[in-house]
Amino acid sequence: MSKRTQRKSMGYIKKDYIRTRTMPGSWYLSSYRFKFNITHFKPFQDKLKERKLVGLQCSSCNRVFFPPRLICGKCFVKPDRWVDLRETGRVATFTITYLKDLETGEVSERPVVLVQQDGSDTTYTAQLSPDVDYKDTYIGMPVKVHWAEEPTGGLMDIQFYDLVEDNSKDLELRKD
Amino acid sequence: MQKVGIVGFYQVKLLSDANYGRYEMIFEAVRGALDKAGLKKKDITTVISCTNDYYDGRTISNAFAVEAGGAYLADESKVEMDGAHALLYGMMRILSGNHKLAVIWAGSMASCFPYHSARLFETDPIWERPSAYVNDITAAGFQMRAYMEKYGVSVEEMAKVVVKNRRNASKNLLALEEAQNPNLTVKDVLDSEIYADPVTELMVAQPCDGIAAILLAPEKQALKITDKPVWITGVGYNQDAYYLGDKDLSESKSMRLAAKMAYEAAGITDPIKEINVAEIFEAYAHEELILKEALGFAEKGKGAFLNSEIDGELPINPSGGALGGNPPCGTGLIRIIEATKQITGEANGYQVEGVKKALATGQIGMCAQNNIVYILEGGN
Ligand SMILES: [Zn+2]
Repeated sequence: MSKRTQRKSMGYIKKDYIRTRTMPGSWYLSSYRFKFNITHFKPFQDKLKERKLVGLQCSSCNRVFFPPRLICGKCFVKPDRWVDLRETGRVATFTITYLKDLETGEVSERPVVLVQQDGSDTTYTAQLSPDVDYKDTYIGMPVKVHWAEEPTGGLMDIQFYDLVEDNSKDLELRKD
Repeated sequence: MQKVGIVGFYQVKLLSDANYGRYEMIFEAVRGALDKAGLKKKDITTVISCTNDYYDGRTISNAFAVEAGGAYLADESKVEMDGAHALLYGMMRILSGNHKLAVIWAGSMASCFPYHSARLFETDPIWERPSAYVNDITAAGFQMRAYMEKYGVSVEEMAKVVVKNRRNASKNLLALEEAQNPNLTVKDVLDSEIYADPVTELMVAQPCDGIAAILLAPEKQALKITDKPVWITGVGYNQDAYYLGDKDLSESKSMRLAAKMAYEAAGITDPIKEINVAEIFEAYAHEELILKEALGFAEKGKGAFLNSEIDGELPINPSGGALGGNPPCGTGLIRIIEATKQITGEANGYQVEGVKKALATGQIGMCAQNNIVYILEGGN
């Protein structure tokens, strides 16, 4: 993340003025360590190692969270029922980022998607396969998990999503 | 409930790269509000500030602004959300019965830091940051597309909001110069640099430098201070889910519930008929449409069909809105000031005729996660 920047995030600035001076400041955020509970998603991680997906279901409202959430905000309880999910899903929405490599100055156009995994009620922030042209991305596009070569039990095991063949048009024809 | 009145306000001119120190900008706003109301430092009994440690580059950042904000040896506290939320805190201080004059100031200087990069740190470090580059602009891209797709609204409708607001901003002397454009076209907006498809540069409310201040007083004091008080007759606020994936991005449930709360308090049953002007904090063009729908001014997906020009059915953002300049933390408070000016008849150049009830909103978070609504009315 640190090596790339949004193409124009600092585009507005800066002139030298007579009245003001600037001094560099720094935030020592790189030394920050986020601490988080892993017990609630241990089964999720174990399944990832086997290249399988599970969602966490709230037994009060039956919503299935993928990725698993510690708390169901609606019911204010900890979801505790694991449900198997398929590898497939659909693009719920997407955008395209234009990120500049600070070293080479090269701008890459990449789609970023929210994927609704089949069987889940929430969406997951993800990337599409480098083979998918960003111009071909659309809402409702069927996708499938592309696994890392050697899953380690982390979210990065879902390397990105591959496009799967779209049969929805055939289905519409059949309906007619 | 005791009445709380707005008895003074001041906004500095918005600048993309101010030739100011932050201290003096805060001082100009607070001193300006006091002078306008004919008050002195000793009249201040409580001060609520609204900034953000991240944006200020220091921890507990209200500590540095004590003198500039009028809080020296006074009751003082800070809200790290939008200025509109700080106003609610100030209102509660007044309603506690312990205070006669509250100063609320809000804003920051976006020229001092890469605003959109700072907002990368708003996403979840475990579930979101490692997966993709998601900041406020990416989130806006997700939301704009989800909204357009669900209701079949074209990207031209997003651009029309920009054209309207930047044209309106050109009449507002305090708006950001870079945002003012009386001759902007839909094509210009769509042809401007692409930020996060379909969001283009001109659809983004440009982060800038600016501070605003409002003075609040209980009814009795308010009537002593000014003969043109503006009353807060309703307020509502609501928070949606944190994760972008846990909510329907094509609408704003939090704004719908916030509006319901505010309308109930103010006794409003038919908002489109009863409210004469609205100042909505739209950090991105599409937010104005989604939020106006959530406010009950139009049906879902039909926001673009409600004429919101200054002389339209319901004028929205005659001042130019956030697209006319977006000083982080200050923008919501500026919306309330603009709504106040519409009631007191001080909106020079963009005054809506016959305003009795005005609505103003603030927000914070990605895709306007948290929304707050105020109903303002004039009269003694
Ligand atoms: Zn639940």
